[in-house]
Amino acid sequence: MDRKREIYSVELSGTKDIEKTDKEDGKEKSRGLKNKCLERKKNHQKEELKKELDLDDHKLSKEELEAKYGTNIITGLSSAQAAELLAQHGPNSLTPPKGTPEIIKFLKQMIGGFSILLWIGAILCWIAYGIQYSNDHSSSLDNVYLGCVLALVVILTGVFAYYQEAKSTNIMSSFQKMIPQQALVIRDSEKKTIPADQLVVGDIVEIKGGDRVPADVRLLSTQGCKVDNSSVTGESEPQARSCEFTHESPLETKNIAFFSTTCLEVSAPPVGTATGMVISTGDRTIIGQIASLASGVKDSKTPIAIEIEHFVHIVAGVAVSVGIIFFIIAVSMKYHVLDSIIFLIGIIVANVPEGLLATVTVTLSLTAKRMAKKNCLVKNLEAVETLGSTSIICSDKTGTLTQNRMTVAHLWFDHQIFVADTSENHSNQVFDQSSATWASLSKIITLCNRAEFRPGQESVPIMKKTVVGDASETALLKFSEVMLGNVMDIRKRNRKVAEIPFNSTNKFQLSIHETEDPDDKRFLVVMKGAPERILEKCSTIMVNGQEQPLDRSTAEAFHTAYMELGGIGERVLGFCHLYLPTDEFPETYSFDVDTMNFPTSNFCFVGLLSMIDPPRSTVPDAVTKCRSAGIKVIMVTGDHPITAKAIAKSVGIISANSETVEDIAKRLNLPVEQVNKQDAKAAVVTGMELKDMSPEQLDELLANHSEIVFARTSPQQKLIIVEGCQRQDAVVAVTGDGVNDSPALKKADIGIAMGIAGSDAAKNAADMVLLDDNFASIVTGVEEGRLIFDNLKKTIAYTLTKNIAELCPFLIYIIAGLPLPIGTVTILFIDLGTDIIPSIALAYEKAESDIMNRKPRHKKKDRLVNPPLALYSYLHIGLMQALGAFVTYFTVYAQQGFLPTTILHLRLEWENDNVNDLEDSYGQEWTRYQRKYLEWTGYTAFFVSIMIQQIADLIIRKTRRNSICQQGLFRNKIVWVGIASQIIIALILSYGLGSIQALNFTMLRPQYWFVAVPHAVLIWVYDEVRKLFIRLFPGSWWDKNMYY
Amino acid sequence: MVIQKEKKSCGQVVEEWKEFVWNPRTHQFMGRTGTSWAFILLFYLVFYGFLTAMFTLTMWVMLQTVSDHTPKYQDRLATPGLMIRPKTENLDVIVNVSDTESWDQHVQKLNKFLEPYNDSIQAQKNDVCRPGRYYEQPDNGVLNYPKRACQFNRTQLGNCSGIGDPTHYGYSTGQPCVFIKMNRVINFYAGANQSMNVTCVGKRDEDAENLGNFVMFPANGNIDLMYFPYYGKKFHVNYTQPLVAVKFLNVTPNVEVNVECRINAANIATDDERDKFAGRVAFKLRVNKA
Repeated sequence: MDRKREIYSVELSGTKDIEKTDKEDGKEKSRGLKNKCLERKKNHQKEELKKELDLDDHKLSKEELEAKYGTNIITGLSSAQAAELLAQHGPNSLTPPKGTPEIIKFLKQMIGGFSILLWIGAILCWIAYGIQYSNDHSSSLDNVYLGCVLALVVILTGVFAYYQEAKSTNIMSSFQKMIPQQALVIRDSEKKTIPADQLVVGDIVEIKGGDRVPADVRLLSTQGCKVDNSSVTGESEPQARSCEFTHESPLETKNIAFFSTTCLEVSAPPVGTATGMVISTGDRTIIGQIASLASGVKDSKTPIAIEIEHFVHIVAGVAVSVGIIFFIIAVSMKYHVLDSIIFLIGIIVANVPEGLLATVTVTLSLTAKRMAKKNCLVKNLEAVETLGSTSIICSDKTGTLTQNRMTVAHLWFDHQIFVADTSENHSNQVFDQSSATWASLSKIITLCNRAEFRPGQESVPIMKKTVVGDASETALLKFSEVMLGNVMDIRKRNRKVAEIPFNSTNKFQLSIHETEDPDDKRFLVVMKGAPERILEKCSTIMVNGQEQPLDRSTAEAFHTAYMELGGIGERVLGFCHLYLPTDEFPETYSFDVDTMNFPTSNFCFVGLLSMIDPPRSTVPDAVTKCRSAGIKVIMVTGDHPITAKAIAKSVGIISANSETVEDIAKRLNLPVEQVNKQDAKAAVVTGMELKDMSPEQLDELLANHSEIVFARTSPQQKLIIVEGCQRQDAVVAVTGDGVNDSPALKKADIGIAMGIAGSDAAKNAADMVLLDDNFASIVTGVEEGRLIFDNLKKTIAYTLTKNIAELCPFLIYIIAGLPLPIGTVTILFIDLGTDIIPSIALAYEKAESDIMNRKPRHKKKDRLVNPPLALYSYLHIGLMQALGAFVTYFTVYAQQGFLPTTILHLRLEWENDNVNDLEDSYGQEWTRYQRKYLEWTGYTAFFVSIMIQQIADLIIRKTRRNSICQQGLFRNKIVWVGIASQIIIALILSYGLGSIQALNFTMLRPQYWFVAVPHAVLIWVYDEVRKLFIRLFPGSWWDKNMYY
Repeated sequence: MVIQKEKKSCGQVVEEWKEFVWNPRTHQFMGRTGTSWAFILLFYLVFYGFLTAMFTLTMWVMLQTVSDHTPKYQDRLATPGLMIRPKTENLDVIVNVSDTESWDQHVQKLNKFLEPYNDSIQAQKNDVCRPGRYYEQPDNGVLNYPKRACQFNRTQLGNCSGIGDPTHYGYSTGQPCVFIKMNRVINFYAGANQSMNVTCVGKRDEDAENLGNFVMFPANGNIDLMYFPYYGKKFHVNYTQPLVAVKFLNVTPNVEVNVECRINAANIATDDERDKFAGRVAFKLRVNKA
């Protein structure tokens, strides 16, 4: 862990952080957390990293670069050179994280779970045959066949599980390949468009605004270029890029653009594009290095995998111990060792639910499909359940909780704050638009704006149109388009005559327009900018359309409004205008923006407007749902604490009535130190504060506050936060989109990446991808995850039950010497035949109660298979089934002439091939074949009885607490498909295949199908009583011992 | 990473187990307190008591459907099987003429087997019936119980009866007797009112050669109809199963001979592929002479 953290810090924040990690090193040494070996490795690693960062391309001049890479800035590489380099360095694409080789995955399925037990069974079969053969060369091949059948079962279920896994993985890889990227490159003095993965070092590429940077690029010529580096460094603000070498660190310098970041804008023609030289490609890019390191974070086991392992251990433990106990009993009862081995095989086969793991896989993939329909794409099948047991969600802010676009949120004019609709389509603007001030304000908003819609988007809804311009201008453009209609038309009517674009020294933007009123020959100067700068330039203020002098009280009102809007984390802009008098500025006046031959003061202040990246409309509801589901939602963002807190409040991560320590201090007028920390439910923690915290302090923070916002956090801090949560025994979900999130995504129990905004690295590291980037989809995931957990419980309970009914015959056979009631192959027909569809059908069961109103399960206490489940399945229902099946078995034998008393201890004679005149209870004599046939009829009867009682078992397993009447007997149609399948399979086996001897099924008299029905009814009634008592006496002894 | 797998020391594991077995703090034995154990034991006592009662009840109900004298279904016994006496492990009759012990056990078995056939016992217990006819004893509404059986006298077995036989059923001279019997099947009218008999042959050509001559008792291997139908162990108390004895006169010594005997009766099929003992019996015969 330590090693990883360091790597990230170095990678992500450049040289700055190396010093920091050095310091951390010292601290950690004193904590004694590491061993020396690791340390050595670590130092070695650091050396390497330093070497890697010895990138000096940003320091070189253009000529030196040309020499270094053997290229020419004007003509580019030749095709031959490029091809050679491509062959040398490989394509410019990220190597997908190395998965487990397919063969290993396949072998894992072959020996994982119960397979190993079945292999043992198969091998025992062959050994038994070997012994038999060495004694008697004419011995029957039955054991060889059984061994082959067992091996076949393992191989088939293994292949099936492997196929299911592979199928769900394929969904993901196909998804990744959806967007092929193109790059504009100069080669052989020609501009060519080639796939981005064909780029090589030394290529000269051109980048337009809106393009993704196709590789790590040293910029050669550009103007006003801005890139979105958020996926590399986490900075949400656009970063300016130029050709100058500005910083020693390649990560900080402005003349390098990183692979896969987005170039937001390049200033308008004549330049239009940024030109750069490719300096590294593919995995050697900064992004590539981070991504490959993220894949180094070890995958931990998913909660459901742990549960299934636990369950396999229980069942295997029971199988092996019962097997060995009875092997010993059999040997001490003077059975032949060979016979004892065969008993052992029978016991193993009876005890192992052969079909269950395949069923679980199917169930999980069904849920995965269902979730994919709801825009949750699950990469790893087992992650389907993880969301259900999630107890903490660490959510990124931008893009996940928010819409990831600046939107006008508030307006202030006429001394009043108006709320603008920030929902996704802006459809519902309710504020008062009758005031004349609004008319003026809207005109300024429209005119003092350089952003434009890209042409050719007439049919696209306004909010979805792409805009050329920065985030706030885009917001204003869209806002005015929604409010006023065709903005371009308005701008045309108010022709622009001069303009000063925004720059950081002026902090304002100004433009001069002719008015649309042909009678009004005055020029209109409109200005917007930082509110305080705008106010300085004003002498009057517009109220209700009338200009009034700007006095102290109005200035105060302005400040109050400004603080209020700023205080909720919004970006505030001021707007003012001035009509130039016609006498001084006639129509022919020529404005010069450089000399500023026009007034820039004594403007009339019109209003304020504030913007925010607003929360998605579905998020507050989703957060409330998570809350009521007992899931703690923590915001972890790189953004400013004030904005983070504001968004947290508006989506309910910090609820309306809870306060932070700072809030309490402010309210009580106390210094922060004196406030009792226990009083504050909420906490806003910045990265700076987090850096100084010890793990213990972090634990305390996480434990004591229910509403936490982490702001200004770096990627490695995200990792620390996730680990802190995991120390609390929580199952942690992390949402994120950037490359910088990928370590945290990987570390989390379930990483959730954004499908639209997410970077490939994030998607690779994640277990789940939200196709619509919508936080609300997580709630769906939680619900499905919890449901599948409950339903898997039911499936397992259903499947385990009949194991006892299959096991008892062997035990009785050994102890009491009855003719064998059910054969090994017959058992396989139950486990892999009649029981499969019903157990899958339980996955379709609806939730019994509102699963979103209960706490997430405790990772260590709420097991999938708990003692009550095992005991109830094995010792209650299972035993009832066994008794019911035995009644049928005895009936078949008695009605054919062998009364129960006769068949006791009859085994030796019964199975002797040379006894062909065995006397029954009536004095009749039976040949061996006649007895065999009767034995098979017994198998069939036993099989049918188990099947009949499994129908009852299936019905009772629909619920664990509620009565079946409450749940509705017919609501889950698939259960009835399952029941029908059971009956049909049994009918086919008994009547269709009755003549095939190898399968040991015979035509069963119709009445024998009903012998076990009373027991089936009893099972149902008994379970209803159980559930009734559980509902009547919650928390009682009964509840504790009988509720699974 | 940070979550360190705590490796438990051996002592800790033992300690944990000790605490599981008996936890002095909570007074829990194997994870349950005394009351909890009492409850759970009581519960299982009641529950299993109930299940036993339920099982007994259903078994009792089931047994009510079963009659005392005839089984409900006999479909499996449409073709009675044939068997030989003396009963041996692998259906082989091996006689070492010089080695008395090798055949003495057979002789003992046969003596015991044939004891109920002694004429005196037969005369005492059974009727003399009219041959060539089924000996039917219908119930006619009233339970006709017990049924009478027909006499099958040991003397009918002639040279194989073993009465006053110094050769011990021929075993001491290398001319062994093998007895063929047909499996009892209740209410089975063997032969369908026509006479039937048992015939024996060597299985293959060389077996036929090696088998040599043999004589059958009763003559021709006949089985009389009067021994049918059989009414069951309970009603047909002294039923005496008809036998056919085969005395092999000159079996080629020191060779294993496969003998197959089958019954020739109108309603007994002897060609069932799967059941090798339906209406027939195959056994090995070997007479070892020095």
